[in-house]
Amino acid sequence: MNENLRYFGAQLKRVMKTFPRQLIVNLVVCLCVGVLLVAFIRDGLLSQDGQKYRIGLVGDMSDSYLGFGLTALQSLDDSRFMIELIPMTDQEAREAFEKGDLYAVVQIPEGMMEAIESGANDRRISYIAAEGQKGIGTMVMGQIVDVASTLVTRSQSAIFGMQSILLERGMREEFWEATNTLNLLLIELVVNRSGFYDVEVLGIANGLSTEGYYFCSILLFLLLLSGINNSPLFTHKQTDMSRFMKSRGVGAAGQVAGEYLAYLCLMILCVVVIFIPLFWCLERELFTIPEWEGMGAQPLVRFFIVLLPAVAMFAALQFLLYELTAGVVSGILLQFICGIGMGYLSGFFYPSAFFPEIMQRLGSVMPTGAALRYVNDSLVEEKFGTAGFGVLLYLAVFLALSVLVRKNGIRRG
Amino acid sequence: MEMELAGIRKSYKKKKVLRNISLSTKRGSCVGILGGNGSGKSTLLSILAGVQKADGGSFLYQGEDLLQNSSRIPSVLGYVPQGNPLIEELNAWDNLRMWYDRATLLRELEQGSLAMLGIGNFLKTPVHKMSGGMKKRLSIGCAVVARPKILVLDEPSAALDLICKENIYCYLEQYKAEGGIVLLATHDMQELELCEQCYILKEGVLESYQYDGDLHHLAGKL
Repeated sequence: MNENLRYFGAQLKRVMKTFPRQLIVNLVVCLCVGVLLVAFIRDGLLSQDGQKYRIGLVGDMSDSYLGFGLTALQSLDDSRFMIELIPMTDQEAREAFEKGDLYAVVQIPEGMMEAIESGANDRRISYIAAEGQKGIGTMVMGQIVDVASTLVTRSQSAIFGMQSILLERGMREEFWEATNTLNLLLIELVVNRSGFYDVEVLGIANGLSTEGYYFCSILLFLLLLSGINNSPLFTHKQTDMSRFMKSRGVGAAGQVAGEYLAYLCLMILCVVVIFIPLFWCLERELFTIPEWEGMGAQPLVRFFIVLLPAVAMFAALQFLLYELTAGVVSGILLQFICGIGMGYLSGFFYPSAFFPEIMQRLGSVMPTGAALRYVNDSLVEEKFGTAGFGVLLYLAVFLALSVLVRKNGIRRG
Repeated sequence: MEMELAGIRKSYKKKKVLRNISLSTKRGSCVGILGGNGSGKSTLLSILAGVQKADGGSFLYQGEDLLQNSSRIPSVLGYVPQGNPLIEELNAWDNLRMWYDRATLLRELEQGSLAMLGIGNFLKTPVHKMSGGMKKRLSIGCAVVARPKILVLDEPSAALDLICKENIYCYLEQYKAEGGIVLLATHDMQELELCEQCYILKEGVLESYQYDGDLHHLAGKL
């Protein structure tokens, strides 16, 4: 038998001796993550209700029309699903804003309603948000305030215009009834504005549902962190072994291939261990993601196969990090820092769309970013896209670098 | 001569580690190379073992230059590095099986080199539970099962107790008696007693030395 194959066999035997430990750690981690995920989904923490914007309302709200308007907004208008308006005093608003309980504060100037009723539009509503909240949310809120102001002035114009016409034509008896009818018509138009458009939600990121997205990212994060668990196995340098093997005709490439393939087998086995309870849960519909709704556990089998390139790439990345470190402690630290840092930037915890553009770009070109994109795509599509080729490219680069590091180690002793 | 080194050179960047190393020896002999730390002993042995490439020179065995035909090295030469080239999590048998087939190992365990090294006594012991002497014997075992003609050892008895050293020396004497050539780098005076030829490697230059038991004189030469 070829010595390369024999070496692979020995390494496989070696890594499999650690499998019981791996199994226990994986099961404990999976159990914790699984409980958190189910609680997250069941309690609706990921649903829209959990993401309402809390807006503080301060200023002159003594006017009954304003009170009626606010009640209508909070009970009839579609915005109630997104915005919670909370009347409060200046002091309360300041404290809540400082604590981060409020997204923004809307200040209604004193005498605004009287000014509107008299036809003067010289009082402006102030919308106050923190500097760090510049984003789509703040922009939308600003637009809503503008729309509200426009609606008020346009409604005013319509009502005053109609009243002038009625007075000019001497129709005093119809004056109040017509005013009320027009008011109600305008309110109906505002409240029913959602009838003018359809909203199609494409998903949290990469076109996936929140559950689908986090299913992929948590799975990849688990794989990434498994490098920490395996650090004691690979970080201690066996330079004498490498030199001996070289003298036996097994070079750096053969050594890396044997060790990497054994490690990959261990990783795949770990994925199988994670997928068995997942399969069981999906089969019994205890857990599902919208992308696989009503399909049972069948898509999981296909997903396991398409996940393999990402598993292989992560194994190669971890192997390279092992090659670069000399001690177990430094190995664990490097794996941990790389896992957390790359995972964070690539959107494993928050979709990368939440980050500034430069970070989004950085995250997407990272190996973890390519893997997440590839796995996200593979969750719903069957084609092997550019992200998949990116994953394979990283795999090749990491293995090539590992061989170079090993060669250097053999040469330097 | 059975084995001959001629003009072997090696530099790391601008530092010349080996300068025209030349020596020759016959079958059944032992060559000891002495030298201080960092004198280039390990580099020389690793070049002979095919681990590193020389900048120039030749390593002739029965007239064939092994540096030019490095694929032949594993079948001619057995190399035992300074540390133990063993997988700690596996037992002695699994470590040996990485390099040799089952039938060869069983034969050697019964009446060959492995039997002489006493490896059969701890065949199922995981390496991490072995003593230093057991590990060294197993390391030598991994190198010699295929019965190489030349055995290259880098400080084979460093940090071993007397009984282990004696065990290893007995084996090396036996190996020589069977016509093998032993080339060892050492700091150990006891090991020098095994050697028919001694050399001192200093500042990359190899000089012949006749050890007469005067340790003070030897220390002055290093």
